[in-house]
Parts: sequence; C-alpha cells; structure tokens
Amino acid sequence: MTDATVSPEKTPKRSSLHTASDRTKKRNASETRFKAMGIGAIALGIFFLIVLLVSIISNGIGAYQQTYLQVPVYLDPAKLDKNGNRDPADIAKVSTFGYTPLIQAGLLSAVQDANIDTPLQTARDMKNLISASAANVVRQDVVSDPNLIGQTVTFKLLASSRVDGYLKGRVTREGVAEDKNINVDQLDLTDKLVDAGIAAKGFNWAFITGSDASESRAEQAGIGTSMLGSLFMMLVVLGLSLPIGVAASIYLEEFAPQNRWTDIIEVNISNLAAVPSIVFGILGLSVFIQFMHLPQSAPLVGGLVLTLMTLPTIIISTRASLKAVPPSIRDAALGIGASKMQSVFHHVLPLAMPGILTGTIIGLAQALGETAPLLLIGMIGYIATNPPGNLIDGFMAPNSAMPAQIYEWAKRADPAYYERAWGGIIILLLFLLSMNIIAIILRRKFERRW
Amino acid sequence: MNDMRLTERKVDSKEIKIEARDVQVFYGDTHAIKDVNVDILDKTVTAFIGPSGCGKSTFLRTLNRMNDTIDICRVEGAINLDGEDIYDKRVDPVQLRAKVGMVFQKPNPFPKSIYDNVAYGPRIHGLAQSKADLDEIVERSLRGAAIWNEVKDRLHAPGTGLSGGQQQRLCIARAVATSPEVLLMDEPCSALDPIATGQVEDLIDELREKFSVVIVTHSMQQAARVSQRTAFFHLGNLVEYGETGQIFTNPTDPRTESYITGRIG
Repeated sequence: MTDATVSPEKTPKRSSLHTASDRTKKRNASETRFKAMGIGAIALGIFFLIVLLVSIISNGIGAYQQTYLQVPVYLDPAKLDKNGNRDPADIAKVSTFGYTPLIQAGLLSAVQDANIDTPLQTARDMKNLISASAANVVRQDVVSDPNLIGQTVTFKLLASSRVDGYLKGRVTREGVAEDKNINVDQLDLTDKLVDAGIAAKGFNWAFITGSDASESRAEQAGIGTSMLGSLFMMLVVLGLSLPIGVAASIYLEEFAPQNRWTDIIEVNISNLAAVPSIVFGILGLSVFIQFMHLPQSAPLVGGLVLTLMTLPTIIISTRASLKAVPPSIRDAALGIGASKMQSVFHHVLPLAMPGILTGTIIGLAQALGETAPLLLIGMIGYIATNPPGNLIDGFMAPNSAMPAQIYEWAKRADPAYYERAWGGIIILLLFLLSMNIIAIILRRKFERRW
Repeated sequence: MNDMRLTERKVDSKEIKIEARDVQVFYGDTHAIKDVNVDILDKTVTAFIGPSGCGKSTFLRTLNRMNDTIDICRVEGAINLDGEDIYDKRVDPVQLRAKVGMVFQKPNPFPKSIYDNVAYGPRIHGLAQSKADLDEIVERSLRGAAIWNEVKDRLHAPGTGLSGGQQQRLCIARAVATSPEVLLMDEPCSALDPIATGQVEDLIDELREKFSVVIVTHSMQQAARVSQRTAFFHLGNLVEYGETGQIFTNPTDPRTESYITGRIG
C-alpha cells in the first residue's frame, strides 16, 4: 500500500478548467494533425480519381464520333454486271476491287458538283479520303439488292482515319509531310467537304456494335464482338463459379468437421486468392488446351480459366457471410426439428445471400477486367473481325475479350487506335460501374435485420 | 418470499417421461456433467437451478441432442425418452427434436413473418394436410403461447418487429406448433423485462397441461414460482432433486441450502 505513504504536500496543484494543460494541448494538436492527414489522403485520392476520369473521357470520347462522307455512287452496270442479266451469282463474283474506282469517281463527281476548287481532279486522288472499308459496304448493298445496279445511290461511307483524325485535331498539316497516306491538298479538300456538307461527324454506333478491323482500317474497328466474347466468358464464369463456390463454402462452413484436412484446404483457398492471374492462364493453357484439346482463343476456355481465378474470391466472401449469420438462427431451426440441410437452405443461406451476391459480382467484375490469363490462351492478339454466328460459336469460336481488345488496340501503330483503346476503357468502366450498382441494389433488396 | 406460492405446486403425474442414468458430458478434456441421474415426469414443470457454469444448460441440451452440433462434445450414459435411448445409433436427432422442442435464452425468431415462423415446423414435418389445417395449427399455437390476440391482425408482419417478450412467446408458439412431448426452455426469461417474464411464466404453467416442461433458470424465485420439481446442479453434479417446495424449504444437502440462501452462486 504505497498510497498511504504519500505526504499531503505532494498532492498535485489544483488547475483551472479554463486553461488547457500542456498534455491536453499536445493531445489536441496530434488529433488535429491526424485529422488533417486523413483529409489530405482522401483529397489526394479524389484528385487522382478526377485526373483519371478526365483523362480517360477526354482521350476516349473521340472514339464515339466518326467522320462520314455522303458519296453518290453510280453503280455502273458495265463494271458490276458485265452479262447484264442481274444474276446474283455473277454479281457476287465482282470483288471489292471492282467497287473502289466507282466510289472514288462518285466522290470526285460530288466534289465537282459542289464547285469546290481543288488541284485534285482525278478519281485516284480521292483514294486517301475514303475508308478502305467503303467498298465492302457498297458491295454488300448491291449483292443483297441487284436492282440498285444502274442507279446512282448516295451512300454514307466512313472517311479514312487520317481525314477523321484531321477533323478531330489528331492529324496536323505539319505532321503529314512525311505521311504517304494523305497530303496537304487532301486536307484542304477535307475542310471544303465539311463546308459543303459532304463530310460530317456523327455518333459512331459502329464502335459499340462493330468488330475489330485490320491495322490499316482504324476507322472501322469496334468493340462489339469482343464485348460478346466477354459476355460469353462471364456466362461461363457465373454458371460455374457461383454454384461451385457457394456449395464449397456451405460444405466447409456448415458441414465439414474441423480437422487438419479442412484447415489445409482453408489455408490453400486463401492462398489461391493471392496467386497471380497469369499462373491460372498457364494452367488453363496446359490443362484445357493442351490436355483437353479445347479450342484456342475460345470464350469457353477463357471462362474456365477465369472461373478458377474467381472461385477463391467467391468462396472467401461466401464463407464470411455465412459466418456472419447469428448462430441463434441455426439453433432455432435445429431446435424445432429441422435437419442440418433445412436449417442451412431455409434460414442461413437467405440471410447470407446479400453477402454472397456482392462477393460474386465483385469476383465477376474482377474477372471481366482480367487480361493476363487471356494472354496465354490466345484471346489476346486474336483479331475478332466477325461476331459469333450462333450460341455454340459464342462459346467455342475464337474471340477476344474487352480488356484484351483494349490492349490489342493500345499497341497498334496508328494513333486512331490509341483513341479507340481509351474509348474501349470507357465501355469497360461502364460495365464495371453497372455491375457494382447491381451489387448494391441486390444487397439493399435482400438485406434483412434480425 | 410470498410470491413463491409453493402450496399451489403439486405434482399430479407420476409417469416418467425422461429418464437419465449416469450421464457424463465431456467438452474435449473437460468433464462438464458428472453422474447425473434424473427422472423427469410427464405434465410437470421441472426446474434446473444452480450457479453459472454448473452444467444445467449443458445437461438440458443433452436432452434433445443439441450438443451434437458441437464437435468436441461427447455424451456417455443413457437418456431414455419413454423408455427409448435417445443416444441409440438408430435415433435421428432430427426426429428427436420434433418430439423434444426447445426455447432459447435469447428470443430468436426467424427473419420471416409471424405466420411463417410458426408454420415452419409443421411444414417441414408435414403436419398440415392443407392450408386450412396449417392456419388452424398456427392459430392454436399462437393462442397456446398467449400471443394470438396481440398478433392476429398482423400475422404477415415480420416476427423480428415484435417486442422482446412477444418474440419469446412467438418462439414458444413456434416450438409448440410441432406438437412436442417435452419442451426444453433454456433461461427463457433472462432477456425479458418483469412484465414479459410474468406473461411467459403464466404461459409455462398452462403448457404443463399438455407437455412435460424442463426449464433452466438463474432465478430461484422463478423456479419456485413455476416448477413442481427442482434439480440443483453444482460444478457438474446433480446435488439434489425433489419437490420444489421441499428443495426450497427443507433442503437435505448443505450446498443446496447455501445456494438458496445466497451464500454460493
């Protein structure tokens, strides 16, 4: 009892409550510093988020605008239907090379009709203004309706990526000196075409719905087909990882005995969640493609690989939400004679549902943005020029995926593709955003109090 | 202790419902229940009293095998319900729990409607042939748990929205709905206020007409008020078991006397 020995003189002096003591001042100062640091950290985060969003949108928004030319094309029967009998088989024999001169001549006549003053007076001079895809567009229309032959039809055709880039400010007069794809006269003509209303920018639906194009036709490339590839992959991931993941977690959490084996499994699942995704890619390559001989670059294989990657995420979040269900609910069900399975499926699972769905959607969102494993199973580098014809093709035919497509565009030489890569990122982010919103809505809807 | 009304509590039945012989319960290496022998009578309220950690709840949970859900728990000895060993290999604990219902310490209604809470047991046991049957069982159970008048207008409101005392009576209705033969209650009033406690205690007295009720309680007054027979547990041993009036007025064991006079526990 040391207290008893303290002498009365040593009792501390009475202090006023109206003056803060040194210790209090110190504590308050450190609290203020801590709060300031917290606000600083959040402000920094918001700043970078804004920088990110502004740069993505400003770089990518251009991909949603595209320059189109209104070209009156005289579909010359002498070139397109030499026999003159409108036989579809004969017409189909004329390749796009047969159409290109007609389109160029059409643009030239449009230029002359509009009385535009330009040194470019031959059809071949128009070549660099028109997209290489234009001939195919016209040919498709003619093949499907041979009666168009002999008429002058006005087509809305894509301008070349250089013309488009010039109108968007990407291509400059100084820069084209070395460019064999366009010259200054053609740029002058472009300005006049805009004034004459022949060339105009419009919303680029083809970017959202279209397929990838070859390196020289940036203006034609779209993300639609790889969006389908991603969709089919996500169907595989959802269809496999949700039931497998939830079943595994229910078994581990509710039924499995607690012993060394389940401990080992538990540790391994947690470790799998941290395995680099490229490891799953090489596993998919060796198991699904080399051993099981599934097709390369197929969304099915991509989905299987991403399923392996998503499973640990789903299992961990499902187990956490099962754990969060109060044991009293299990007791209540068992106490009135429900079997273990009834208590889990009637009571525990519905209560854990919001957590499970959130975990699943976050796992899916992760899988949707995953690029590295696709590298090894051939979905990166595959030029998805045609959308899948049917449901089976959707799973089995080679395709790309959105992040793979974005990567593919980002590494191509034409700056028009750079713009499309950013545009693709906008779509990918919109997908992720809507998935997260769905997760929030589901959580709100299923959330119950007990 | 005027409110004990000991004289009112006479045992009417001599029929043995549950018979426990040399029951031992182990949690891992801990010997939680030692050599317990008890005969629980039909149509009687039996109270288990004793200080915290004495094993009364553990023993209660052996009576419907709720301890099975704990991996490290092991039960030895024999517990017979109507002469049948409930720890026999042929016994499915699920079937047993339909006969031996349980009400827990904390009211734990399912996060569903009041109706679904009560209807759940009859549904999984197939007790109702039709919707009308089920409605009737639900009404009878809610009346039996003395809560019908309070909830009859909002049967489809969530059970979790009721007050604590109402929730506990709903849980009793839920347990009663499966027509059990024995009702186990693990401190059913410990989370309730005095008014709700009084309502639940009155209910327990009514329930005795139909079932054998076993109640674990911390409150000696409550044991005296509601039970006909009382068992006193101490450190895993059953110290004394007999008529409630005799335990409270004339205990034979000095430990019982110490406990009821407040010297231990």
